[in-house]
Amino acid sequence: MRERWREMMMTRLTWALSGAFVIMGLGLMASVLVGSWPILMAPHSLGRLLSPLWDPLQGQWGILPFIVGSSVVTLLALCLAVPFALASAISVSRMLPPVVRPHATRVLAALTAIPSVVFGWWGLQMVVPVVRNLGGGSGFSLLAAAIVLAVMLWPTLSFLFAEALQSVSPSYVDASLALGATPDQTLVRILIPCAMPQLINAFLVAVARGLGETMAVQMVIGGQVAMPQGLLSPGATLTTQLLTDAALYPPGTRGHAALDVMALALVAAMAILVRISARWRVGT
Amino acid sequence: MAPNIRTESLTVSYRRTVVLRQISLEAVGGEVLALIGPSGCGKSTFLRALNRLVEETPGAHVTGRVFLGEMNIYSSAVDVTELRRRVGMVFQAPNPFPFSIFDNVAYGPRLRGVSDAAELRRIVERSLQEAALWDEVRGKLRRPALTLSGGQQQRLCIARALAVRPEVLLLDEPTAALDPVSTEKIEELVSNLRGRYTIVMVTHNLRQAARVSDRTAFFDDGSLVEVGLTRQIFTAPRDPRTEQYLTGRYFP
Ligand SMILES: Nc1ncnc2c1ncn2[C@@H]1O[C@H](COP(=O)(O)OP(=O)(O)OP(=O)(O)O)[C@@H](O)[C@H]1O
Ligand SMILES: [Mg+2]
Repeated sequence: MRERWREMMMTRLTWALSGAFVIMGLGLMASVLVGSWPILMAPHSLGRLLSPLWDPLQGQWGILPFIVGSSVVTLLALCLAVPFALASAISVSRMLPPVVRPHATRVLAALTAIPSVVFGWWGLQMVVPVVRNLGGGSGFSLLAAAIVLAVMLWPTLSFLFAEALQSVSPSYVDASLALGATPDQTLVRILIPCAMPQLINAFLVAVARGLGETMAVQMVIGGQVAMPQGLLSPGATLTTQLLTDAALYPPGTRGHAALDVMALALVAAMAILVRISARWRVGT
Repeated sequence: MAPNIRTESLTVSYRRTVVLRQISLEAVGGEVLALIGPSGCGKSTFLRALNRLVEETPGAHVTGRVFLGEMNIYSSAVDVTELRRRVGMVFQAPNPFPFSIFDNVAYGPRLRGVSDAAELRRIVERSLQEAALWDEVRGKLRRPALTLSGGQQQRLCIARALAVRPEVLLLDEPTAALDPVSTEKIEELVSNLRGRYTIVMVTHNLRQAARVSDRTAFFDDGSLVEVGLTRQIFTAPRDPRTEQYLTGRYFP
């Protein structure tokens, strides 16, 4: 009797807590949506949002420079990080002596836990000066941000890639080797194709982290609201601009509403990523 | 003519544990040699030593010699890839790749650079026919292999192994995961392949060993206890341990 009562309470508590989670999520969406309402409903809202001018005090709330900044920095970072991460994942899961592999995996997992501000700090001392010397300008730039982000995503991406490769059934590897495939052929023809859904999911997780990263990027991107003129020019991303202006525009002002629009854009981007990732669920 | 495959004092250990001790055993060209013995006695390890797949296991160590025809397969001059082409293997659980039926069978030939579509199609058809699967899958070669039944998957794995024209076939409990009808089909298939290939087959099914094999070898605890004509082993085993195992009174 008491047993049953306890189980019932457990179930109810579980429902209550997960309900709280859903309510919190919906509440966040609602507040962002309500906050951005004045701008979304203003005449020509889309055209004004997608303009390159950001000056909320003057009624200009074009967030195009930040959309461009976020996209360029994330895309470039991933282009840099993916080959390196794939290489380290292959080393960790296939090439290192089997005795070392679990330790190497643990090192990767530990690296993923480094706070992003540390990467930003490192970028400030190492990446910005190098970009300045090689490319001119101040060094604070989209390129510096992308490099820092790439280095930051590397461990995470390697770890997830390695997990994806390790998830392939060893019986496939046996079968391939028994047919006379070399380890290289087995990697290219069996391991990578069989792990593709998980590899793509790992990639999407990295895209999400890249789009969402604020601190490390903020420290090296230069924080300029004008449309960036190239990889070497400073800029801003949706997240860094949100951070910069968060304290500047009190609730109720147009600037605050514009920041809500940026938050909404980030949430929407994440929702799209989750949708894409669901299509790549294992086994479909 | 299918070659003999012969081991001389083959010893295999994983790290410090010796799992096969001084095995000297020969499968004669074209015969079906059955390996029986209690679980964990080293039958799979023995098979995997015959195509050097055991070397892929971390910590495995092999001593002694294995001859495929006249060639010592553990000599450093041997090309492992070519060895494994000549010595095909089918595993206990059907393990077709998650590709199409066609791509499964074409996997081996493609590894060796066969890319001509017509030739690949010929090889795939021939192999599926040889594995007695053609009639069931013709016209469906683009379907995912994993949509086949377990028994069909296992015959697909046999076709995949046959596609590279091996001379020896190693079958590790090929029917352990299958229903009686599929099992019968595979046994029939093995009987048909007999003569063209040298077949070494591990089985826990004693009646299967009696039905399809020419000779039977009984392993126990990493050692070869005895080997002889299947009829002799089943009717008049020389070693008391064999007799105990065959009559179900075996308690290791
Ligand atoms: N990778 C490995 N590392 C360490 N020991 C192993 C490994 N693989 C097998 N062994 C050990 O080697 C022994 C022989 O194993 P093997 O798989 O060859 O037996 P088997 O006769 O095929 O058994 P079964 O009939 O259950 O398939 C077993 O004691 C097993 O525990
Ligand atoms: Mg076994």
